Amino acid sequence: MNTIHNSAQAATSITSLSEKTDSQSELLPAQNIRVQVNKLSLKRSGRLILNKLNLRLLDCGITSIIGPSGAGKTSLLRCVNGLDKDWKGDITIDGIASKRWPKGEDALRQHIGLIGQKPTVFPCSIANNVMFGIRGKLRKKDNSELIEHCLKQAALWDEVCDRLDHNAQTLSLGQQQRLCIARALAVKPAVLLLDEPTASLDPRSKNKIEASLQSLSKTMPIVVVTHDLEQVRRLGGHTLFMCDGILIEQANSATLLDTPQRVETREFFQWSSCDCPPEENE
Amino acid sequence: MANRVNKIVLCLLALPALLVPLLCLSYLLMRGLPGLDSSFFGLSTLEQNRDGASLSNQHGIVPQIVGSVLLSALACSIAMPLALGLSLFHQLYAGRHSRSFMAHILTTFQSIPPLVYGLCGLVVFVHLLKWGISLAAGAIVLAMIVLPVLTLNTIHALERIPLALTESARSLGMSAGQIIWHVWRPKAWRSLLTGLFLALARTLSETAPILFTATVFSGVIWPDSLLSPVTSLQTHIFYLAQEAVDERILAHAWSSALILVTLVIMFSVIAHFLNRHSAKQ
Repeated sequence: MNTIHNSAQAATSITSLSEKTDSQSELLPAQNIRVQVNKLSLKRSGRLILNKLNLRLLDCGITSIIGPSGAGKTSLLRCVNGLDKDWKGDITIDGIASKRWPKGEDALRQHIGLIGQKPTVFPCSIANNVMFGIRGKLRKKDNSELIEHCLKQAALWDEVCDRLDHNAQTLSLGQQQRLCIARALAVKPAVLLLDEPTASLDPRSKNKIEASLQSLSKTMPIVVVTHDLEQVRRLGGHTLFMCDGILIEQANSATLLDTPQRVETREFFQWSSCDCPPEENE
Repeated sequence: MANRVNKIVLCLLALPALLVPLLCLSYLLMRGLPGLDSSFFGLSTLEQNRDGASLSNQHGIVPQIVGSVLLSALACSIAMPLALGLSLFHQLYAGRHSRSFMAHILTTFQSIPPLVYGLCGLVVFVHLLKWGISLAAGAIVLAMIVLPVLTLNTIHALERIPLALTESARSLGMSAGQIIWHVWRPKAWRSLLTGLFLALARTLSETAPILFTATVFSGVIWPDSLLSPVTSLQTHIFYLAQEAVDERILAHAWSSALILVTLVIMFSVIAHFLNRHSAKQ
């Protein structure tokens, strides 16, 4: 529980697991809660993907989600963003239930940015990619300042400022992923969710994305799903460990990595460090 | 050794599939080419064409070509929006079971003989709605015939668009309409055009359904309205071949067939060209 207080002091994201932690989170000022997930359950093909999951995100800070494949990490992000709709429970964003979001689910998805594992750029110029989510009257204006701002936020401006009209598909994978971040930022989301954003990227690109996320986390809550435990340590903030759709443990990132409390978490770390399955008796 | 035997056996099996159409095409060229003179296309004056006046009027084969192309174009312009609507519904709103049901129904409709569509068209449009034998009736019947082909082609074209692109656009808050226009359209338009040209080729090769619903052999040069009958290459060849006792009439039928096959091949080649470019994307 100390970890929760610590992270609150650090103005990072706060998550709650049980009723006990819920009561702790109530100490936090209500206006700080951007996203609140209560008893979120998701079933697919008869299998429970998410099982009564609770989660709270504050105004800013990074929350990392770790866990084995199939733990429900990506599904959780998709439910919060509104890409998955068949879930049960409550998701409240800025005090409004996501299923009753004003102007519909498209507006909700704009409010909660989601960036996938594989960088997906549209077959058009770099500038048009940044502006891709902006439609209507806003797009007709001169948006060069917005493009520059978003690319700078994503730590990509210096590399592409002289070739904004080039096809985005000519960029490296790392650059494409940062372009995806810039594109998500252009629609001005309140929360940014990233699903393994640095998987299959080189260390240099990883560092740039991590630096960009840390900078962004000062102004908005960021959730990162990752398998890279070192990355979790580098990003800092708060960390959740999920397994089989259940939130097993959560704490300040360094604390969780160094002194995991639950046996499932320890097993996962052991498995991750030796790259082999844990002994059944452990 | 075994590989060589396999290769020879497979070549022998594949040979008839290539050889038969090639032989047919060669024979068609041999019989059809000599008849392709200026009078055939109606470029000679009536006086010069007096001997052939019983086969065609002063316009030559042009009204039949125009009739066929008009029927095909109208049929495709009716079928294309319907196919687009069906495939977009399939992609955007249909559940897993509805998708499978739609695919099953479309495949079944695809295998219904065109003659059946023609009979239905005869009953509904010609008799029940009292349109008579008309361009509109023929075009609707042909549209119904190509609708399953066009829809399945459009569905496949949309399914080939990477899901990640669609989900990226959705996660940016783009509406279904914006995704269709800004993400799907640029990716799928070549495949849609391929399907359209294949459908045009298919409608040009249909004879039976328009025989009951749209075409006449004589008495019409150009259709006055959508409710007028038309002449078409397909039925023109059919009547000539059926009635032919004169060698000149048969030669005229062969030349007409050559024109029809050229049109079909032309549309197929365009479709193939577009498909290659679409695959490269």
